[in-house]
Amino acid sequence: MKESVRIALAQISCNLGAKKQNMEKMAEYVWRARDQGAELIIFPELSLTGYTLRDRVYSVAETVPGNSTKIVARLAKEAELYVIFGMPELAERTQATIYNTAVFVGPSGYIGKYRKLYLPTHSVFEEKRYFRPGYHTGVFDTELGGIGLTICYDIFFPEVTRLSRIQGAQLIVCISASPTTRRAYFETLTMARSIENAAFLAYVNLVGIEDGLQFWGGSRLVGPSGELVTVAACDKEDLAVGEANYVDIKPIETFIPTLKDLRPDLFGKLKEAAEEL
Amino acid sequence: MRLEPAVLDLDWNEVERRARLFIKKYVEQTSSSGVVLGLSGGVDSSTSAALAALALGGDKVTGLLLPERETYSNIDVQHAKHISERFQIRTETIDITSALDAFYRSTPSFDGRDKVTKGNIKARMRMIYVYYYANKYGLLVCGNSDKSETMMGYFTKWGDVSADFAPLMDLYKTQVRKLARHLGLPEQIVKKPSSPGLWPGQSAEQELGVDYETLDLILCGLEHFMDSEEIASQIQADIELVQRVMFRWLTSEHKRRMPLTTKIQYRTPGMDFRLARVTA
Repeated sequence: MKESVRIALAQISCNLGAKKQNMEKMAEYVWRARDQGAELIIFPELSLTGYTLRDRVYSVAETVPGNSTKIVARLAKEAELYVIFGMPELAERTQATIYNTAVFVGPSGYIGKYRKLYLPTHSVFEEKRYFRPGYHTGVFDTELGGIGLTICYDIFFPEVTRLSRIQGAQLIVCISASPTTRRAYFETLTMARSIENAAFLAYVNLVGIEDGLQFWGGSRLVGPSGELVTVAACDKEDLAVGEANYVDIKPIETFIPTLKDLRPDLFGKLKEAAEEL
Repeated sequence: MRLEPAVLDLDWNEVERRARLFIKKYVEQTSSSGVVLGLSGGVDSSTSAALAALALGGDKVTGLLLPERETYSNIDVQHAKHISERFQIRTETIDITSALDAFYRSTPSFDGRDKVTKGNIKARMRMIYVYYYANKYGLLVCGNSDKSETMMGYFTKWGDVSADFAPLMDLYKTQVRKLARHLGLPEQIVKKPSSPGLWPGQSAEQELGVDYETLDLILCGLEHFMDSEEIASQIQADIELVQRVMFRWLTSEHKRRMPLTTKIQYRTPGMDFRLARVTA
């Protein structure tokens, strides 16, 4: 397995509902990332379609793998790069059951997908109205190391990254569509999830204004002790490239040994208490 | 779902019953003295007026006839008067020509050749009169917009669409015509070609580029999440027409919502304040 991986955080704005245009932009970023020596490029949540789809989600959702996955996989093959992007996924055996999904492709084709576990349905968010939640974490053992996929609001629930970490993820990816009003939370939580799991965390946020919502960008690669490896600009499109050196994990994992000190005996109690909340 | 004319058939007794109950209860809940509406003599305003009169009694309904020089139509005035007599509605007639002239004269950039901006002034001027009456006499403004023009954005922002409630807004134009017939309105009104009355000879179907029978089936398909290919295939229409209607529907959402703001604070008007309409 590689000791380090060079990661491009592709902080783009999207054209709502226009998959072809968004994929053209993704291709442009893929080649730019390739030029900068990146091995993995990550796009934001629902980057294939834009975030504020509302009722239009039914007309743009696709199965995964499906047409768009194939197009992006072909691009990954041509550029010899791993790509993670977000899209509304239509369930195989239904006509209108949709997931908020992160798709993972690489030079050898389709790798896997992760369906968002926690769907925000409060404030300006109405994801449970449109999406079915996923039921599994998304951890993939690749040539680039163990990679765990998460999406946006998942980061508020430490058990998602924890489980992904102990299932083998050294790099947690969090693709996001976070409005400006939530900036401070994400700045804090990206650090917290990295520190508590002694893992790298790549956070890639949408940017631009959709239906009055300003997505703030600020994508970042955070190291296992919470240090910022690289940070993208706020409020504009950007491509930030940084390196995750997995060898950095070992000294941190010994310095603050959160994984060694895990107490599984508490997890059962947590479940019982949560059910009685 | 098969997109054929029968799909737009409703139980008109039930539609009438629900619309009347809705109007009556909303006027009661708001402790209003009645309703006021612009009465053009067209099928939408005639049907709204009829429903309001059936719900409240004609004495609680004020119909404003708001003609102006350029679009004056004797037939429209006759139709409006017929409705007012038939349903015992109080009417007032105000010629808005002088008010419009005052606006035209006092506005340096006014260009009478630009018929769209000029026409929108007329729709907004009518709104001023209707809201004046509402304000003065404690009335609710009953809107006359139907679902076809609302989905297409075929109305003047803050003009003819302005209202406190709109009993026809969930009925497509062809359905409004059926409801009008069910309510016993004369065929001349039921079948009258639709026009917003913003300039002489204006025709809704011509401007929209499609007849209402076809448009309503397309819109009904879009309402039911059908994609444009499926709609075009089912009604045997050009895909370009269906896509044009869809594009117009999607790009006119700004006309159907609160003004756009940017979210800065905890809860935001038009975004995530989610409150029911309650009355004092």
